Amino acid sequence: MRFATLILKNIFRRRVRSFITILGISIGIATIISLGAIVGGAVFTVERMLKSGKADFSIIERGISDLTFSKIDEDIVDEIEELEFVKKAAGIAIGLVSLKDRPYFLVLGIEEEDLPLVGINIVSGTAFSQEEDEVIVGEIAAKELDVEAGERLSLGEEEFTVTGIFETGNPYFDKGAVIPLRKLQDMMKLEGYVMMIYVDLEEGTDIEDACWLIEEMFPDLVTVKSVAEFSEVDRSLEIMGSLSQGVSLLAILIGGLGVMNTMMMSVYERTREIGVLRALGWKRRRVLVMILGESIVLCLFSILLGTLLGFIAIKLLMLSPIIGGFFEPMWTADIFVNSFIVAFTVGLIGGLYPAYRACKLSPAEALRYE
Amino acid sequence: MVRKIVDIQDLVKTYENGRVKALNGVNLEVYEGDFIAIMGPSGSGKTTLLNIIGGLDRPDFGRVIVDGVNLCEVKSLDEFRAKTVGFVFQLHNLIPVLTASENVQIPMFEQGLPNKERIRRAEYLLKLVGLEHRKNFLPTKLSGGERQRVAITRALANNPKILLADEPTGNLDRESSKEIMKVFLNLNKKGLTIIIVTHDPEIANCAQKIHILRDGKIVATKKPDPSKCILSI
Repeated sequence: MRFATLILKNIFRRRVRSFITILGISIGIATIISLGAIVGGAVFTVERMLKSGKADFSIIERGISDLTFSKIDEDIVDEIEELEFVKKAAGIAIGLVSLKDRPYFLVLGIEEEDLPLVGINIVSGTAFSQEEDEVIVGEIAAKELDVEAGERLSLGEEEFTVTGIFETGNPYFDKGAVIPLRKLQDMMKLEGYVMMIYVDLEEGTDIEDACWLIEEMFPDLVTVKSVAEFSEVDRSLEIMGSLSQGVSLLAILIGGLGVMNTMMMSVYERTREIGVLRALGWKRRRVLVMILGESIVLCLFSILLGTLLGFIAIKLLMLSPIIGGFFEPMWTADIFVNSFIVAFTVGLIGGLYPAYRACKLSPAEALRYE
Repeated sequence: MVRKIVDIQDLVKTYENGRVKALNGVNLEVYEGDFIAIMGPSGSGKTTLLNIIGGLDRPDFGRVIVDGVNLCEVKSLDEFRAKTVGFVFQLHNLIPVLTASENVQIPMFEQGLPNKERIRRAEYLLKLVGLEHRKNFLPTKLSGGERQRVAITRALANNPKILLADEPTGNLDRESSKEIMKVFLNLNKKGLTIIIVTHDPEIANCAQKIHILRDGKIVATKKPDPSKCILSI
């Protein structure tokens, strides 16, 4: 028998109790994994949104708490485009409308000529003309809504004809639709304004210099080149990340207490046995390693179950039109590495005190324990 | 010349800050190959004496030398326990989820033996006590006597110099007690020193010498009557 076998057999002496403990930590791990995937997806979406297509950076209004509150005078788009180092500038508007059973559906308002700059590639049908009742639908949305070019689609209270299907590689956009800018401005009572400007610079232009100059010229605007910069302007990602960390911490804390409780009970129940082991020549260190090992292995089992639960939780969440309509989970190695580190740490910390208690037991006293 | 393996002089052990005197000036000498029985009423200090000889407890005063190791001075008793003594308790204290063979392997972890060697040695020892055919049985599937024989085998796992048994037959019926005593006598014949604590005169009379302990002192030492040994009746 190997020492690891002893650890495994000890864990499954009390199968129900061990399973409940594993389940407790698994829920914590599932929380970390699913929230991590959602936050990761949000960051990826923002990243892709900021640098869509050929754009080098984007511009939004300074001092806003959320991108959807950004409001930029449309004339500024032309002024920026006229700058000699700017090749192209495209103003866009972003709106949310109801669609069928979905309370929120993302709609972008873009000039037809700006579609390539924003990274919109038509994969079937054609782009819309500047006719106000035409729409192109993102690849994911088209599949989910089961629409094709030529069909009619109701966005809010308006009827549109689908002229084509597009893809951007950004799930956030691909789950929505694009209509002419004028039409969305009209629908959102945003005449004369855009929410965001994409900027494509002339070759050889230094991006930092260009951003600095634009911010000097338009003090009410802020240029955004990265997620980090975006987070300084729009706190929603930061809030989402903090919320995710807070919930994960709480879940893990509960899981950790569960492990500690289980291991403490196990040590109390096995006091006499620990005395026997010490009488048979086991050193304190071996008792410590055995109890810590049991605690860590419990948590490693939790990773397996927690990962499975996390996947299931995300699948179920994505069935919800509100969440599924906007978020695309992003499974990165980081999430799994983090959850492994957390589970290992929980096992280590949760098992440390019980293991310390166990190895500190005097063998003679432990043998007297009834 | 037979070597003195246990040499105890003026041993005092107290509990509860000196209020309870468990041992009060014990003197005891045990030679290699001896089979000693310690008898006495409950609370006379039998188990405390056995625990001190086995390095489970430390004396307050006096001198305790076991196999050349002064137990009053040695820093850690772990290694002493692992190498010098083997314990058998009244309750077998086997780990319920481990087979007979696995239970016997438990003390060997500290010896650093490879897994295969641990298994081989456990099987060899189980064969010595006639339990080779039960090696893969869980303790719940063994009789009381068989469990105690596994516990004896476990005590022998690290090839100890002295076997210490605290009421090893206390929980067993007469037939199982006979089985255990046969094993002890067999081991003693092979040269193993055995110190056994018991209430039962039929067990004590199987030994070579009986020490009577009362109020923490050895008050008498007598020669056993082999005709009253459990195996002779």
